[in-house]
Amino acid sequence: MLNELITKYNEALIDTDRERALNVVRAALDDGISPEAIVFEVVLPAMDRMIMSVSEGFEANVAQHFITAQISNAVTNEMLERFTAPTETRGRIVIGNSQGDLHALGKRIVIGCLRARMIEVIDLGTNVPPEKFVSAAVKHDAPIIAISSMMVHTARGPNGALKVRELLHAHGLEDRIKIIVGGAPYRFDHTLWQTVKADGWAENAVAAARLVEDMLSEVAR
Amino acid sequence: MITSMDRLVAAIRGEPSDRIPIFCNLIDQGAIELGLEPEEYFSRGDLVAEAQLRLREKYGHDNVWSLFYVGKEAELLGCQKIKFASDGPPNVEDFVIRSWAQIPELKVPADITQHEAFTETARCLEILKREIGGKVPLCAYITSTMTLPALLMGMDRWMELLFLGPPDLTQLLLEKCHEFFVKEVAAYRAGGADVIVYSNPFGSVDFVPMSFFLERSLPWIERDIAAIGTEGVVYYCGMASLNRTIPKVLERTGIGVYYLSPMDDITQGTALVGGRGLTCGVVNDIALIDWTPEEIDHEVARMIAAGKPSGKFLFGTGVMPRAIPERNIRALMDAALRHGRHEALTA
Ligand code: B12
Repeated sequence: MLNELITKYNEALIDTDRERALNVVRAALDDGISPEAIVFEVVLPAMDRMIMSVSEGFEANVAQHFITAQISNAVTNEMLERFTAPTETRGRIVIGNSQGDLHALGKRIVIGCLRARMIEVIDLGTNVPPEKFVSAAVKHDAPIIAISSMMVHTARGPNGALKVRELLHAHGLEDRIKIIVGGAPYRFDHTLWQTVKADGWAENAVAAARLVEDMLSEVAR
Repeated sequence: MITSMDRLVAAIRGEPSDRIPIFCNLIDQGAIELGLEPEEYFSRGDLVAEAQLRLREKYGHDNVWSLFYVGKEAELLGCQKIKFASDGPPNVEDFVIRSWAQIPELKVPADITQHEAFTETARCLEILKREIGGKVPLCAYITSTMTLPALLMGMDRWMELLFLGPPDLTQLLLEKCHEFFVKEVAAYRAGGADVIVYSNPFGSVDFVPMSFFLERSLPWIERDIAAIGTEGVVYYCGMASLNRTIPKVLERTGIGVYYLSPMDDITQGTALVGGRGLTCGVVNDIALIDWTPEEIDHEVARMIAAGKPSGKFLFGTGVMPRAIPERNIRALMDAALRHGRHEALTA
C-alpha cells in the first residue's frame, strides 16, 4: 500500500498538481497509514529523488521545485499536527535576500523545502542589510545564515555575503555561525560561493535543504 | 565595406562574409562609459543612445540596444517605482499587481508610443536609427506574454497564480499581457528596431516541465509570434537553456534565430536548428568576470569551433554584468573577432 502511495504522490509532484498530491495523502491517512510514515517514507524521499533525478539527467525544473516545496511543506505541516509523539525541530536558520535584491522566489522555495524537513526558518524577507542577518542569527541563536541573491551585484557586491563574513569575523562569531549562499549567479559560476567567502552553496532548493541538514548535524556534534 | 547588418544577414542566410556576427550586450556599461550614476543615465534616451554608439566604436561588436532596463515594461503598465543601484541593473520595486483583485483593473495603454514612460526610449531609438539605421542591427528587448506577469507581480506570486490559482484569472492576465506585448513590439518596430529579442524563460524546460511547456507555454508562444510575425525575432529564454524546446518552437512558429544559454551545448543547438535558422552561441558572462585572458581566449575558441562549422552562427553574450572588468570585455571581443574570421574570404 505504501508503494502505491509513493508512486501516486510522486506522479502528482511531477505533474506539479498540488491538489492531487494532498488528496493522495489524505486518502492514505484514511486507509490507516501513519502520519510519520507519510512524512519520512513518502514526502522526504520524494524530495531526495528530485536531486537524484537531476544527476541522472531527468528534468527537474523551477516549477517542480516550487510546487514540491509548497506541497511538501503543506503536507508535513498537516502531518506534524497528527504525530503521536511531538517532534523536535532539527535546528534553526535565518534566511533572506541580500541587500538590494527583491527576488523572493528562490528563497521561498528554499524555505518550503527546509520547513518540510522540520527545520525552523526565520525569514528576514528581501533586501536585507548585512547587519540584520548577523543580529538576527545572534538573537535567534541560529548557527546558519542563508543568503539568496539573484543578481551579480547583490551576490558579490560589498553589502552581501562578503559583508556578513566581515561582521561575523569582527564579532568573533565565525565558529558559531556559518554562511550559505545560493541563487542564479552561483549557478553560472560554481566557484562564486568561495569568492564571496561563504561556507557552502547549493544549486537548488532540495539540495539546499540537504546542505543545511548536514551542516546542522555537524554543529550538533 | 561590410557592415554589421551585412554580416548578420549573411549569417542568417548562410552566405559568405568576413566573419561571424558578434552581439555584445552592453547595457549597464553605458553609465560607466559616460561617468554617470545609473539613475541619471537611464533617465535620458539621448544618453543611452550616445553610450551605445560609443561602446560600439570602442569594442567593435555588431549590435546596439534600445533597452534601458527590463523594468521599463512594468513602468509602461503603471509601475511607479524602480530600484536603482550604483553597481548593478535597475529592478522593479513596486509591483503593479499586489493582489489577485487588481488583475481585472490592469490597464493596457492604448498607444504605447504616446506613453510617458516610452518618451525617452523613443528618443533613444530615434537617435540610433538616424546614426546607424540599416548599418548596425538595432535591438529591442520584449518580454513574452507568459513571462510579463513576473514583472507585474513578482515571479513567486506569478508562479503561485499560474500553477495554483484560478485559471480564469490567469487567462485574463495573460490576455492583457498579450495585448500589451503586441503593442510594444509594434512601438519598437515603428521606432526603428530591427531585432526583437523575445524573452521567455517559460519557454525553457529549466523553468517548467516539458508537459507544461507543450500544453501551456507553446500555445502562447505561437499566439505571440503569429501576432507579430517572425521578422527579426530572436528566441531567448532569459539565459535559461533552450536546446530541448528548439524543435517544437521552430516547427510551430518558424522563428529563425535561437539565442542559446551558456548551459546549452552549442554543437547540439546548431544540429537541432539544423540549417533552418541562425544559432547564437552565448558565453557565460558571469564566469567571465574572473576569467584570465587565456581562459577567455580558450573558451571563445571552443565555442566558435563548435558553432561556426554549421554555417549559420552568431557569437553572443548575455546581459553583461557591470562587474566585468573592461580588459575582459576587450579580451572577449578580441578573441571573438579573431576566431570568428572566415578564413576563405579574408585570405
Ligand atoms: C526568469 C528570469 C527573469 C524574468 C523574471 C524576473 C523576476 N522578476 O523574477 C524576466 C525576464 C522579467 C527577467 C528580468 C531581469 N533579469 Co532575469 N532572469 C531570469 C532567469 C531566467 C531565471 C531566474 C529565476 O526566476 N529563477 C528561479 C529561481 C527559483 O531560481 P534561483 O533564484 O536560482 O533559486 C534556486 C537556486 O538558485 C537555489 N537558491 C536560491 N536561493 C538560495 C539561497 C541559498 C542559501 C541556497 C543554498 C540556495 C538557493 O534554490 C532555488 C530553487 O531551486 C535568470 C537566468 C537563469 N537561468 O537563472 C535571469 C537572471 C537572474 N536575470 C538577470 C538580469 C540581469 C535581469 C534584469 C536585471 C535585466 C535588466 N537589465 O533589466 C531584469 C530585472 C527585472 C526586474 N525584476 O526588474 C541575470 C542576473 C545576473 C546579473 N547580470 O546580475 C540572470 C542570471 C540572467 C543572466 N545570466 O544574465 N529575468
